[in-house]
Amino acid sequence: MSSVKKLEEVLKDWEAVIGLEIHTELTTLNTKMFCGCKLEFGAQPNTHVCPVCLGLPGALPVPNKAAIESIVLAGLATNCDIEKHSMFYRKNYMYPDMAKNFQTTQGPVAFCMRGYLDLDVDGAGAKERYGLEDLAEGQTQDNITRTKDGYVAHVGITRIHMEEDAGKMIHVGGGEGRIAGATHSLVDYNRAGTPLIELVTEPDLRTPEEARLFMQKLRQIFLALGISDCSMEEGSMRCDGNVSLRRRGTTQFGTKTELKNMNSFKNLHDGLLYEICRQAEVLEEGGIIYQETRHWDPSAKRTIVMRVKETADDYRLFPEPDLAPYDLTDEWIDSVRAKLPELPDQKAARFQRDFGLSAYDARHLVAEPAVAAFFQECMDVSKGPDAQDDSTRKLAKALANLCINDITARANADAAFDLASPECPLTPARAVELVGLISSDAISSKQGKEVFAAVIELDRDPGTIVEERGMKQVSDTGAIEAVVDQVIAENQDAVARYKDGNVKLIGFFVGNCMKALKGQGNPKLINQIVAEKLNQ
Amino acid sequence: MKKLTQQDVRGLASYARIGLSDEELPQMTEDLNNIIATLEPILEYNLEGVEPTFHPIGSLSNVMREDVEVPGLTQEQALSNAPAAQDGSFLIPSILGEGGDR
Repeated sequence: MSSVKKLEEVLKDWEAVIGLEIHTELTTLNTKMFCGCKLEFGAQPNTHVCPVCLGLPGALPVPNKAAIESIVLAGLATNCDIEKHSMFYRKNYMYPDMAKNFQTTQGPVAFCMRGYLDLDVDGAGAKERYGLEDLAEGQTQDNITRTKDGYVAHVGITRIHMEEDAGKMIHVGGGEGRIAGATHSLVDYNRAGTPLIELVTEPDLRTPEEARLFMQKLRQIFLALGISDCSMEEGSMRCDGNVSLRRRGTTQFGTKTELKNMNSFKNLHDGLLYEICRQAEVLEEGGIIYQETRHWDPSAKRTIVMRVKETADDYRLFPEPDLAPYDLTDEWIDSVRAKLPELPDQKAARFQRDFGLSAYDARHLVAEPAVAAFFQECMDVSKGPDAQDDSTRKLAKALANLCINDITARANADAAFDLASPECPLTPARAVELVGLISSDAISSKQGKEVFAAVIELDRDPGTIVEERGMKQVSDTGAIEAVVDQVIAENQDAVARYKDGNVKLIGFFVGNCMKALKGQGNPKLINQIVAEKLNQ
Repeated sequence: MKKLTQQDVRGLASYARIGLSDEELPQMTEDLNNIIATLEPILEYNLEGVEPTFHPIGSLSNVMREDVEVPGLTQEQALSNAPAAQDGSFLIPSILGEGGDR
């Protein structure tokens, strides 16, 4: 049942209301939130602990200045108001992953309040939004504005608050590390006290695609800020979704469920999609949605109940007496603002302005900071910014394609491939040379893929590889004509059939010419010459 | 002010992980209600617009430390008071039912 078509059907009758809670560990800091213990993923258990993060009696916490700077950066980059006066609270709960029996977090006022992000939704994902085709370009309805290829969604951010992560538990004796049936558990407090920022959105999202894009954009911003490695797989960036449905045209919210374990962009999208369809099915059969926490199981492609919230949790939130409140000054906030790097949206706008890239290319180029920086270096060592210049625009477009397709695919498939490393065999100069070879028709784009792989494998210049492998594309019209003449002479019966109207046979001639040229002929030229000769 | 019932006190004890016997419960309820009664005079003041005093530390604010590593405990020290340990981790009895939810 969980197909996109089904989703489109469901969203005709129902409006999905989605809000996200996104936790991000500030992994790039040296130390924990309230003590000087080292932050390190994968260390031996309980080797980065001290009286503060173990909750030993009398231990006193002191906040990490760099963590407060990081959350203020995050707030400034997501259009939040920075609250000058705020403080920490204790959120009390008894669970062994937090030795203190409370989590230090923030109360009604967080460091960052009332922000937003604007999402560009286009392509197939835009089709999830119901009623989009009724809007004219530039027209605004609810929180979206129609664009040429889709729409822009304005998504409110309620707050971003500062808190700390809990320790890790391993459940032993049950099946597959599950808590049910476990005979005992092992606790490692290395992660306890890791600086964590929690961002809560307004319930402004209406489709799984919007939720996915929000998470993606936020990740790009946090990566650009350098405040976290934002790894969804390793759990340094985690997303929970709150989902409810209401009949189209009504305003009262339905009962929501909370969705967990969406540890990739695909899982976030697919988990929400499934849950929306599931709720619609229950409601249409006259059933009731219970307020419960559900777990997305990507292999079974369904959500399962983790627990039913029978009573509201009472965390007895109260101000943390061991931590002084904050009274941030304008000067301090401005000093943090001065550290803001160029953000992805600004970078994309500049790439369009400087190099004449399309909005689509620019947006995809800035998705990974390392790729964007590489593209920038390529332009720096070759043309420099000049959007008026035709050759600059062409080079930029070719480099953007290389970055978005080949380089991104390589980076995804090969963890050792690190563009930012000085040892990376693919240097900006080599990338520029490679796209030059392709655009001047010296090699075909198919050969370009082979050269791309060889540059990384052999750590050699593209030109050297092309020569060593005798890959030069034959673009010599005379040489190609000779081959075409020969192929035509040897296949007179096919020529006759072609002239009788079987025009598809042109592919047969082109194929044979390419074979005779050992795959090194310029396909565009061969096509052109074969067509000319056959039509003589 | 509304008085605490024995059921309220039972709930509080459960939150605080304090075992109260049926015999102790009436006495504890009475004691707690007496303590609340001694605080009651504060209700006589008009506190409209008065900032709550959350902190006993006076005018201190913006207390922070630099992001610099400070040596903590060794694994051995960390586990030395634990009733049970295994593979460098604290070993705890099985937890059933609730999830670790934040």
